[in-house]
Amino acid sequence: MNPFEYRRATDVAEAVAAVAERPDAVFLGGGTNLVDHLKLGVTRPGRLVDITRLPLDRVEPLPGGGVRVGANVRNSDLAAEPVIRSRYPVLAQALLSGASGQLRNLATTGGNLLQRTRCVYFQDITTPCNKRMPGSGCAALDGYTRHHAVLGASPQCVAVHPSDMAVALAALDAVVRTHGPAGQRAIPLVEFHRLPGAQPERDTVLDHGELITAVDLPAVPATRRSAYRKVRDRASYAFALVSVAAEVELRDGEISQARIAFGGLAHKPWRAQRAEQVLRGAPATAATFQRAAEAELVGAQPLADNAFKVPLARNTLVSVLTELTELTGATEPTQEDTP
Amino acid sequence: MTNPSNPSNPSRTRDTALSAPARVPTELTTSVPGGVGSSPHRPDAALKVRGEFAFASDLWHEDMVWGVTLRSPHPHALIRSIDITDALTVPGVRAVLTHTDVPGTNRYGLERPDQPVLAEDVVRYQGEPVALVAADHPETARRAMRRIAVDYQVLDPVVDAEAVVAGAAPLLHPGGNIVRHQPIRRGDPDATAPVVVRGTYRVGMQDQAFLGPESGLAVPAPDGGVDLYVATQWLHVDQRQVAIALGLPVDRVRLTLSGVGGAFGGREDLSMQVHACLLALYTGRPVKMVYNRQESFYGHVHRHPATLRYEHGADRDGRLVYVRAEIFLDGGAYASSTPAVVANAATLGVGPYEVPNVAVDCWGVYTNNPPCGAMRGFGAVQAAFAYESQMDRLAEAVGVGPVEIRLRNAMRRGSTLPTGQVVDSAAPVAELLRRVAAKPLPPPVDPAEVDLRQLPGGVANTTHGEGVVRGVGYGVGIKNICFSEGFDDFSTARVRVEAVGGEVAATVHTAACEVGQGLVTVLQQIVRTELGVRRVSVLPMDTSIGDAGSTSASRQTYMTGGAVRAASHAVRDRLLAMAAAELGATATDLVLAGGAVLSTRDGAAVDLAALLGADAVERTAEWRHRATEAVDPVTGQGNAHVQYGFAAHRAVVDVDTELGLVRVVELACAQDVGRAMNPQAVLGQIQGGSAQGLGLAVMEEIQISAGRIRNPSFTDYLIPTVLDMPPMRIDVLELADEHAPYGLRGVGEPPTISSTPAIVAAIRAATGLALTRVPVRPEHITGT
Ligand SMILES: Cc1cc2nc3c(=O)[nH]c(=O)nc-3n(C[C@H](O)[C@H](O)[C@H](O)COP(=O)(O)OP(=O)(O)OC[C@H]3O[C@@H](n4cnc5c(N)ncnc54)[C@H](O)[C@@H]3O)c2cc1C
Ligand code: SF4
Repeated sequence: MNPFEYRRATDVAEAVAAVAERPDAVFLGGGTNLVDHLKLGVTRPGRLVDITRLPLDRVEPLPGGGVRVGANVRNSDLAAEPVIRSRYPVLAQALLSGASGQLRNLATTGGNLLQRTRCVYFQDITTPCNKRMPGSGCAALDGYTRHHAVLGASPQCVAVHPSDMAVALAALDAVVRTHGPAGQRAIPLVEFHRLPGAQPERDTVLDHGELITAVDLPAVPATRRSAYRKVRDRASYAFALVSVAAEVELRDGEISQARIAFGGLAHKPWRAQRAEQVLRGAPATAATFQRAAEAELVGAQPLADNAFKVPLARNTLVSVLTELTELTGATEPTQEDTP
Repeated sequence: MTNPSNPSNPSRTRDTALSAPARVPTELTTSVPGGVGSSPHRPDAALKVRGEFAFASDLWHEDMVWGVTLRSPHPHALIRSIDITDALTVPGVRAVLTHTDVPGTNRYGLERPDQPVLAEDVVRYQGEPVALVAADHPETARRAMRRIAVDYQVLDPVVDAEAVVAGAAPLLHPGGNIVRHQPIRRGDPDATAPVVVRGTYRVGMQDQAFLGPESGLAVPAPDGGVDLYVATQWLHVDQRQVAIALGLPVDRVRLTLSGVGGAFGGREDLSMQVHACLLALYTGRPVKMVYNRQESFYGHVHRHPATLRYEHGADRDGRLVYVRAEIFLDGGAYASSTPAVVANAATLGVGPYEVPNVAVDCWGVYTNNPPCGAMRGFGAVQAAFAYESQMDRLAEAVGVGPVEIRLRNAMRRGSTLPTGQVVDSAAPVAELLRRVAAKPLPPPVDPAEVDLRQLPGGVANTTHGEGVVRGVGYGVGIKNICFSEGFDDFSTARVRVEAVGGEVAATVHTAACEVGQGLVTVLQQIVRTELGVRRVSVLPMDTSIGDAGSTSASRQTYMTGGAVRAASHAVRDRLLAMAAAELGATATDLVLAGGAVLSTRDGAAVDLAALLGADAVERTAEWRHRATEAVDPVTGQGNAHVQYGFAAHRAVVDVDTELGLVRVVELACAQDVGRAMNPQAVLGQIQGGSAQGLGLAVMEEIQISAGRIRNPSFTDYLIPTVLDMPPMRIDVLELADEHAPYGLRGVGEPPTISSTPAIVAAIRAATGLALTRVPVRPEHITGT
């Protein structure tokens, strides 16, 4: 690890200034991702600004029925929050399917959104990687690509975003609130993460020194059902091969509203607007679900080792929609029994 | 394991065991508690659960400095130059060493000295050590390490083992790229049969995944030698190799075992041993080295990945007529134990079956992949996945069930192996299969009471029972126990008895490595049983006593247990002679019991503590198993093995066929252990071994591309968690092997061998897929 300066911020403006004034300064949340990267040499900041003492750790109701989640709310606390469990089960399920109990106790809402890709070449500092070192090339392209993207990749980068929580937030139309050197912003979550394009080093649209202060969840009608499903290689403590966050509303056997997002397929949580279009106004049948999945995945461009993700994504979407439209109520999240 | 119907409870298992036919006649002379056959508390158990056990990574010395290793980033490259000038300027750096600083022979290796301590003009795998740095602080050492400039000329890596056998690869070592080719020829090479099944199978590279990384502390000694405290599996083989590399006489390199956090074969080869000693000698300071998790993946050998082509011929009833096979094992950059792995895969290549005509060829080769060597069940694990898959294909071709086909071909006592060796102790293959087959099946998933943890995908909410198909599969395996092929396999033990504070106490000293399997407890149990002494201490394991051989090949209870028993007998004879003089009796009328010597004739007794007074009785024994012989290099014939271990598994799985997820619902296992020296430890070995086999079946694989490890972390290299491991039903048989101490049979490896094929067979039964490669992944099941 390189030497660095450590500062503990006590108010938001001070934290923002402390990062903004130095190009090599970063915010420190729960540290579950950043500290690993410090050890691996993936990033070498000169200053860490610890934001965990900032008063951003509350889950509060918003006028109009929404909910504001402070950036420092820990993943475990958020998943256990009664309002999240009852009204946003997709989010509670996504959180509980991520990492392990110990990690979720530390991981923050802001840090989870900004966790970086698990692309093994990104983490291996001996290999070229455009995301870690712009212009150095992409080692994944002729490497092992089982975990990489099938949608929205670029010749510069084929990495996927690893967060489960962010996939649920994408389906929920959440809004990220920030406080930066240039003032405050509200960024819809679907526009928050970027596709890699020619600048894979930029995961999000945030500017340097811009602090996430909260994530706002819009109000949900009582008739909406939602669920999160994650497919992975073992029963706990593994990243998604494919995941689906889905919310649907039904009227007379027809789907009146649908919001779908995929995880594990792209550089960002993949909001499946084409699938949503097919679903809206269509009968809730297996054939509709198949068509919806295909409409979204027709543009998939698998790499050498990940063609399986396309049918896996299709099957996952079909089965989550089947369950949501058959079940009478929303599913309660299960507390994961992590070893 | 809270399932009340789960019968893996020791007492029931013991009952089953005791009902087994041929139990060893007990010659227990005493009733002191905690002897052979009981399960006393292990001294390390509570410490480990509380996190207080001192592992090698906890070693500390007030004056110590830290050593780190610069490793090759390339799987294959020439080294044009190494420039350490810049690294030396970093404040706090004590030494920067390269191959020119190795004072002795810059080569080591378990079976062949082909591996440099530090690379010279070529690197043959990614992660090969190139230079060493010692500094006051590990971060300083790492920073200095990054300032070493190595000029590499990158070469194309050789990565395909089959291509190497075909001769289509550039030379990686002076003697050629084939480490060993072992043919086995028995019976008619041209035998034909009416029913023929063929298959090509592949096994991925598995890692031992021990939790305690490679670590040790080297302390320079005033005599110019060095004392090394280290986590290893075999102290003396380390000592010999370190001494040669340092150019020191063996007695100047002294090793003491430190706390070992798991081994499974991965600590048989050297890692940081020579490096730490070198740095200690150069700096004159104690040097500590600890690998981090990523480095650990580069710092030890792995399980050989394999390609296996098989053809089985049988008559219309499914009785085997012939087996022909070609087995390709990728040994990676250095030989390690590849020759022995080849021997196992070849000699055990048809499995625990009677086959009159056999033609097997097995190759172990050099490539630029990570070096492969010892891992639990080596050679036998790879072969078993192939031959058991073939037995299921044969069953289908003949139209009988998987258990029946195995029963029709099962080897027994008196069967002849493809090597011509006759199996001269219990081989209850049929009995083990019948036992697992007879167990009640777990109930089907009840849709009304879904517990997500019981379903494929677990709490990830992937299914609530829809699209889930159940399958049942069987596997049985064979493993040679102890070292084979004429190796002079022995162990050494010293047992001492004396009176301490008026109470008689025994001390055991060996160099046998406790790696977490419970050896310390078993050695105590043996002394209690043989000498009737309750208080038994086990001294730290070190090289001040003779060689004990490796904690591997399921051999340590057999070998060091045998040596401790022999030393105990020598002590007993001396004590009885002393008592005979004291009592005016003949020694043959006396026995040791409960801390006293008793006369069987007139009941006269003398207390041992009184008998000993201020004296101690101490005896050292060197103990060997009966000799084996090398197999013929052309025909593979010869009495290569000492003993065989057998286990059978039945696996029950639920498969989510839409998403390709597998939940192993239950594993049943039956194993013959000859004698359950410590029944609880036996169950632990069976459960742990089965879990490791489960890992290979459905998730564990080191991903290699172009010679590089792609997943050197426990985030990306997945091992089963407690949620992936099902409850087990276990039967332990105790069919004594009259050639072995207490009739015991090595326990550690057999359960690893048969669980993998049983699980894959169950997935096949659920899905109808061929599944010829492990680990099986979701995409293999969804067919993409
Ligand atoms: C073994 C392991 C398994 C895991 N498995 C999963 C999984 O299955 N699913 C999953 O979704 N995740 C998984 N994770 C990732 C985990 O969820 C993230 O590490 C965690 O959410 C990051 O949160 P943090 O608060 O610790 O972030 P930190 O490590 O503190 O920060 C991460 C990044 O965010 C920045 N940052 C933090 N807070 C703010 C803020 N308020 N404003 C601006 N920038 C900020 C930091 O500068 C840093 O760049 C796993 C992690 C590990 C180690
Ligand atoms: S896929 Fe992206 S993150 Fe991975 S190596 Fe290529 S550029 Fe780097």
